[in-house]
Amino acid sequence: MPGMPTDGGGAIVPFRGEPGLGLPPPTVRPIHHGVAPPMFRIYVSWSSGNLLQVACLRAPNSEGAGGAEEVAGSVVEVNLGGGGSGGSESEEKIDEAEMRRIEYGSVPAFALLQSRKNALADAAALSRASVPDHAEWWQYVLEYSKTIGSLLGNADCPAAFMLEDPKAILKVREKPTSLRAAWELLEIFYVDKQLQGWLPERLVDWLADFDSLLSSMGSTTYSKLSNFQKKFINLQIIEDDPDYWNGLSAALSVGWLDTVVNMLRFHGSYQLDQMDNRETENGLVEAVVVLVSTMPRMRPNLPTGKLGQCCKTRPDFIKAWEKWRGQVTKLECSAFWIQCGHQKTRDGLKNLLRIMMGNIKDLTAATSNWLELFASHFLYIKPFTVGFEGMHHLAQKCIQLKPPSGTNGLTGLFIGVLSENPEVVLAECTNNFGPWLVTHAMELLTADNDYADIMLHEERPNLGGISLEELHRLVYAQVLCSHSLTWQIAPTYLSSCLNQGLGLLEILLLKQPIQDNRLVLKTLEICRLYELDNVSTNIMKVAGIYHWKHGRKGSGVYWFQQAHDKVHLDRIAQLLFERIGKSVTDDSFKQWEGLLELLGPDIGSAGGLEFLHRYRDFKRSLQQALDGRSGEAARKTVDFLMQLMRNPSTPQRFWLPLLHDSVELFNFKPNPLMDVAETTLLLKKLRELSMAKLRPDFSSNHLPSHALSSVKLALASNLAYAILEDP
Amino acid sequence: MADTPSFRRHPLASSIDFVRWLPSSATSHSGRLLAAAVHDPSSAPATSRIHLLALTEPGNPLVSLSLPTRATALRCSPSVIAASTSSGSLHLLPSSFDSDAAVAISGGAGFHVGPVRGLDCGGEEWVTAGEDGRVHVVGGGADGRVVVTRVWDGKGMSGYEAARWASPAEFATGGAGCGVQWWDRRKGHAVVAQCNGIWGRGIVTGMVHSVDIHPSRKHICVVGGSSGTIFAWDLRWPQQPIALSGIGLNGMYEPVCESEVWEVLFDTYTQSSDIISSASTRILPVMMCSEDGVLAIVEQDERPLELLAEACAINSIDIDPQNPSDVVCALEWESIGVLARDRRAAAYELRTEKVP
Repeated sequence: MPGMPTDGGGAIVPFRGEPGLGLPPPTVRPIHHGVAPPMFRIYVSWSSGNLLQVACLRAPNSEGAGGAEEVAGSVVEVNLGGGGSGGSESEEKIDEAEMRRIEYGSVPAFALLQSRKNALADAAALSRASVPDHAEWWQYVLEYSKTIGSLLGNADCPAAFMLEDPKAILKVREKPTSLRAAWELLEIFYVDKQLQGWLPERLVDWLADFDSLLSSMGSTTYSKLSNFQKKFINLQIIEDDPDYWNGLSAALSVGWLDTVVNMLRFHGSYQLDQMDNRETENGLVEAVVVLVSTMPRMRPNLPTGKLGQCCKTRPDFIKAWEKWRGQVTKLECSAFWIQCGHQKTRDGLKNLLRIMMGNIKDLTAATSNWLELFASHFLYIKPFTVGFEGMHHLAQKCIQLKPPSGTNGLTGLFIGVLSENPEVVLAECTNNFGPWLVTHAMELLTADNDYADIMLHEERPNLGGISLEELHRLVYAQVLCSHSLTWQIAPTYLSSCLNQGLGLLEILLLKQPIQDNRLVLKTLEICRLYELDNVSTNIMKVAGIYHWKHGRKGSGVYWFQQAHDKVHLDRIAQLLFERIGKSVTDDSFKQWEGLLELLGPDIGSAGGLEFLHRYRDFKRSLQQALDGRSGEAARKTVDFLMQLMRNPSTPQRFWLPLLHDSVELFNFKPNPLMDVAETTLLLKKLRELSMAKLRPDFSSNHLPSHALSSVKLALASNLAYAILEDP
Repeated sequence: MADTPSFRRHPLASSIDFVRWLPSSATSHSGRLLAAAVHDPSSAPATSRIHLLALTEPGNPLVSLSLPTRATALRCSPSVIAASTSSGSLHLLPSSFDSDAAVAISGGAGFHVGPVRGLDCGGEEWVTAGEDGRVHVVGGGADGRVVVTRVWDGKGMSGYEAARWASPAEFATGGAGCGVQWWDRRKGHAVVAQCNGIWGRGIVTGMVHSVDIHPSRKHICVVGGSSGTIFAWDLRWPQQPIALSGIGLNGMYEPVCESEVWEVLFDTYTQSSDIISSASTRILPVMMCSEDGVLAIVEQDERPLELLAEACAINSIDIDPQNPSDVVCALEWESIGVLARDRRAAAYELRTEKVP
């Protein structure tokens, strides 16, 4: 990273090579590191989450570093957090906690789908003859899509239980999010084959749910109606207001039949005191209400509260459609219009009828943007539009009629889907909805689309040999890793990346903090799940060193033992020997009892500490033997001594102290405790020791100078007795 | 992932390390209360708090007490909520929930250095056992001050991860590699019995995470720890711990989990399946939660009864002492789970099919 320490306050200023590229000015973050300039070296590396670790070092012997209290270097952590989460930038902001809830919730669904995919692939590999069950797979993806969709909120259920305001035009619902709108759109087009035949109506429904999200591009039917709603309460004569009729035509053009009927019933002619003189007018309004609520719709069913008559099959629909249009035409040509005294009502209602007849001019005027115009085409002009090509063509026509004033992630996605261009869809998802959506939506794109399947799974040399799918998963995993709460779910995604996932997973695990035992255990659990034994051993070693250095010797030894780290255990043993070697005769040994207890009965795993265990046993037994002077205890002590002397792990420098401690045993009366062979062994060791004394690396111990000779004498006399005793 | 009528998840938007029922004497007008230790690393600097939550609306804490570092233990007594932290401090919040009246003993040379995971209330006194090897008894002085008595200073030679009172004079601790210890204050504040435990997967020693002692059988400890190990330790036979679960331990049953057992509790709600012989020798049913998301009841020589299998870790559990059918748990994915066990269907019926 190009960077240089400045002379000023010691802040690190990012250094950009090319100025004037219109880039935003770099953010400057002052760091308080307490190291006096001049700086010798600065290291920057990522820590966990958004934390950046900056190490600032002085030159080892720079002038002016006189006092010992001068700080030679320091490491500071800089939190780069503050906003930049992986969430989407949409009108209905999803806050970070909510986004995390979605991320958590999508893990089981994603993992289940992956395992099913693998199972199907395995089954297909086993029996080459049978092609993987396509229908089955499609069901799995649909289930996955529904699970994830439910995490994003439910537009059908009201936000909370409340009594409906009788004057409410728009129903109060849970606020839709762009993320959910995008997900549903992809589900409609790519996954839900069952409802493919009723695609136009599904798009109409989709627009009804998410029309409010398009408000960022300009006015929408939703914004028109909600503006009118505010005005409505103060209106005396509703039908005199042009916004009333505008709202009605807009709602009708996008098929919100229940809203239209609801609004028409607010018409002044329904009021009891006006019934008599506006009878014809009221009859016309009611006739339009009836026509609106009986409009035939090509769909399997209607949710409660929605109006229209369902026609499941095409012939049924055509029959109903012809009949209905006949009725609309009949009403339009009716003679009653002349008797209708209220000009605005007459014009407004006639406009509604023309919309129902599918008059393109009126539809264009009533709708607010091309997407609404697109939906109105399905309702009133071309109810049988099918296939991507036809739809795309229609969309182009609508865009020409109503050029978009701005862009919106959803419209871009819509066009990408219609143009059958998975690249565009993916790019729109990446730009507008963030890595979460991209990663999870790729499963939808490839559900039944061979081209998308190849495009996403093809290994690309320009990406370092990974596929687009893997790239997007890795990006998402990085986002997860950058937060200390979500890093634990990143392994699910990393493990689904065949090329680079495992390597990154190892790095991720090794970077986790080791200060807290519980967090270490959580990391180790992930190692266990992915069978990363090497990684877990490394983590345990690092944790062991950390605890040892911080005075928690017990925890340190525990982790070394778990890691089977013989090297460190041996070094610890050496450290302990130093301590014990100095104080071999006093009972400060007791201090180490706890540690020995910790090492457990199985001394094999404790490396060099094995000696300490035996040594402890020997000392205990010796104490008993000397106190009680019983032959049995003394014999046992000798056994311990012989074990110690025979064991190669007993450090040489302990030989003499051991023998010196046991002098009284050698002089044990009446019978010698050791036989000839044992005594000879001890004498041999003694000679070895005398030879070693000549070497420069021999460490002397703190025994009296006559120790060697007294041991020699005792052993010699023991040998003499032993020879006599020997039969 | 979907919630069921008997199990509900309440998202809380920060990491939840511990959750406890408050004794009903502390119940306010907002119904039953929970205490939760939460940690939010996303704010800068990271914040740790104890929240007091109403069961009906866990999203909005009623009272919140700020902690200097992440909580490492949380316990409630009828009069006090106590939490210890990873920096070695202890915080006592009286049940008046007046956060100004909270008492704190700060970590350091005079108390604990490093995480204090062993914390329990025994009547008037609290025992704390830390990873630094120190054991303290904290009691209230007559004048409202707290009195800290050092019971033991292990000088880091052994570290403790759990502590539980058995009687006003006795308590048990457990730790990394050192098994379980039984302390008797009448015998010179010392360890009077020690057990290394039995650990699965051929390992010699493991880490104890939780110890529980049944209120009516004070000589029996149940211990949960590494590698899915749960064992019971009867002081009358201190050298023969009884395996309840663990990899390769109790032959005919699969171990209930293979990962860390974070917490064990004697389950007063589940009836022992063998009522006649349960008189004295049998270990009573034990509830456990684990890193791999299992919440289950284990019993000696019985098939474990799995109550929950979550996709994320269950870090802490608590059984409501007044309504033992209700269980609350802290889920890794920033939520609290509340499990209401059916009061009519006793667990006994669920286990009538026994493995031959």
